[in-house]
Amino acid sequence: MSGQGLTGLSPWSRRLVALGVLAWCLITVFPLYWVVVTAFKTPPGVVGGPTYIPFVDFTPTLQPFIDLYQGIRGEFFHTFLNSTIVGLSAAAIATTIGAMAAYALVRFEFKVRLGAGLMFFLLALGGYLLFNATLGLTRPQALLLAFPIALIAAIVANRLPLPGPILGNEDILFWFVSQRMFPPIVTAFALYLLYSEIGRLGFQLIDSFVGLTLCYVAFSLPIVVWLMRDFFEAIPIEVEEAAMVDNVPSWRIFIGIVVPMSMNGLLATFMITLAFVWNEFLFALFLTNSRWQTLPILVAGQNSQRGDEWWAISAAALVAIVPMMIMAGLLSRMMRSGLLLGAIK
Amino acid sequence: MMRNDPIKHVFIWPAVLVVLAISIFPLIYSLTTSFLSYRLIPPIPPRVVWLGNYVTLLQEPRFWNALFTTTLIALIAVGLQYAIGFGVALALNARVPGERLFRVALLLPMLLAPVAVALVARMIFNPTMGPLNQFLAKFGLANLPFLTNGHWALACIIAVEVWQWTPFIILMMLAGLQTLPEDVYEAAELENASAWQQFWGITFPMMLPISAAVVFIRLIESYKIMDTVFVMTGGGPGVDTETLTLFAYQEGFKKFNLGYTSALSFLFLIAITIIGVTYLALLRPHLEKRR
Repeated sequence: MSGQGLTGLSPWSRRLVALGVLAWCLITVFPLYWVVVTAFKTPPGVVGGPTYIPFVDFTPTLQPFIDLYQGIRGEFFHTFLNSTIVGLSAAAIATTIGAMAAYALVRFEFKVRLGAGLMFFLLALGGYLLFNATLGLTRPQALLLAFPIALIAAIVANRLPLPGPILGNEDILFWFVSQRMFPPIVTAFALYLLYSEIGRLGFQLIDSFVGLTLCYVAFSLPIVVWLMRDFFEAIPIEVEEAAMVDNVPSWRIFIGIVVPMSMNGLLATFMITLAFVWNEFLFALFLTNSRWQTLPILVAGQNSQRGDEWWAISAAALVAIVPMMIMAGLLSRMMRSGLLLGAIK
Repeated sequence: MMRNDPIKHVFIWPAVLVVLAISIFPLIYSLTTSFLSYRLIPPIPPRVVWLGNYVTLLQEPRFWNALFTTTLIALIAVGLQYAIGFGVALALNARVPGERLFRVALLLPMLLAPVAVALVARMIFNPTMGPLNQFLAKFGLANLPFLTNGHWALACIIAVEVWQWTPFIILMMLAGLQTLPEDVYEAAELENASAWQQFWGITFPMMLPISAAVVFIRLIESYKIMDTVFVMTGGGPGVDTETLTLFAYQEGFKKFNLGYTSALSFLFLIAITIIGVTYLALLRPHLEKRR
């Protein structure tokens, strides 16, 4: 794999290309360098105009970080913990159930009638309207009631010989992935209203661990299923077939053989999901207030609160960025050529 | 070989249930709310207005402005990302000197929180104390109104988008380039095809399916842009940089105009679907011809 596309180039054009890549690299790295350097500046080091090199241009200080830790600029320590807890648990749950679903889609056959799917949606919608408008239930009650009824009816209907096309595994996968296309604002806003109405019934979901994690799990699942399916497809089926001959149950094949064999893929998926949850802004903005606030919200708030206190802003941004920088390092080690390949086919 | 074992339901149902619950609940909820006139502040009891909210929205210049702004950001940003990303991926694949050093650094931006990136961008684009101003001042372009003029602000947001998401294109295109068969290039080499001819004759057509997928993903994601704009300009100056998501947020979370916001988010959903379907329909003939 050497020199594709560049083989015909003269040494000079090669140098030109290298220069271009170098330029892009500088553009990529400069803002990162800037934020790291600015976080160690004292107020005079900022206000006097741009300065670049510590000890030469300005005297570095740890004061911004001490301020952060002491909570002068908001509950950073607490928020950092929140982000970590929510991020790790949402990524772990999403990876677990997403991997299970992906495995099922690769190795088992599913048949869903389109009619049953449509019926589910219409029954859920109709049931909700019926319960809410005529029987006078509150909206969440109506939804919670209509959902299982529609689901059970759809499962039963799936066994009946309904007319219309039958959807297979590929279609189910497409349904999963297409959830990603959904503009999150549609969900975030409705979820906010729903959560707050459920809250009025006595079960608090807004600004709670359960509410936020549940929402993140649902929104990470499409990516997890998509990525994990490719990892599982790459596993040779012969190993599993050998185990099946010995009558090993499917769940033991999954946990004992498939999971260990795709550990790399699971780890990479876990990290990608973690990064997604860690950086997520919109849902956290809608669904949290203070107790379960996550880092992006606090960091975004720094802007309006402290106009030009760049040292503080930089330190805050660094707190949000550094864990992901470390992860990028770990991830790039795992991303030897083939890792993400399947994902794009 | 496909197995058929009742345990398959245990495997797939948890994921299906969670996604169903979190996607169907809000869908039904906002679909029904979008036909109501329903405000929380001041509290007015909901009243059925059928398509009233949609009609108001379609006549609202602010909606069209937000749709135009979002489309502009998405198209320009993704175009630039693709051009730069493909170029860098080609160079990296050709083992440019120092290539290993570049890899980690080049992938970093896409893993960073857009909010934090936007904060850093605000510092860099500062018209008096920022490093970019200092750099441009050397060319006699001091104190440009980076974030206070509508056109400049849009350009800055696009620049940040390109900075953050080009790595994604690089990553995907690099992975794709590494699957291309070598013998085709060897044959082209024998024919004395120039690098330019090789690119347009072999690399580009063979990369078309991957390109289509990558651009599609980025396009859809770009339409959701919110956090970068929220921090960098807040939609300002005026509403010059207001995107669809930000508009919906302002209406829903600041004014608590529920029916209106639900209708808005549904129009957004319809717009995204139209864009997605058009894109796929436009590309399909090209993709199938190559196979």
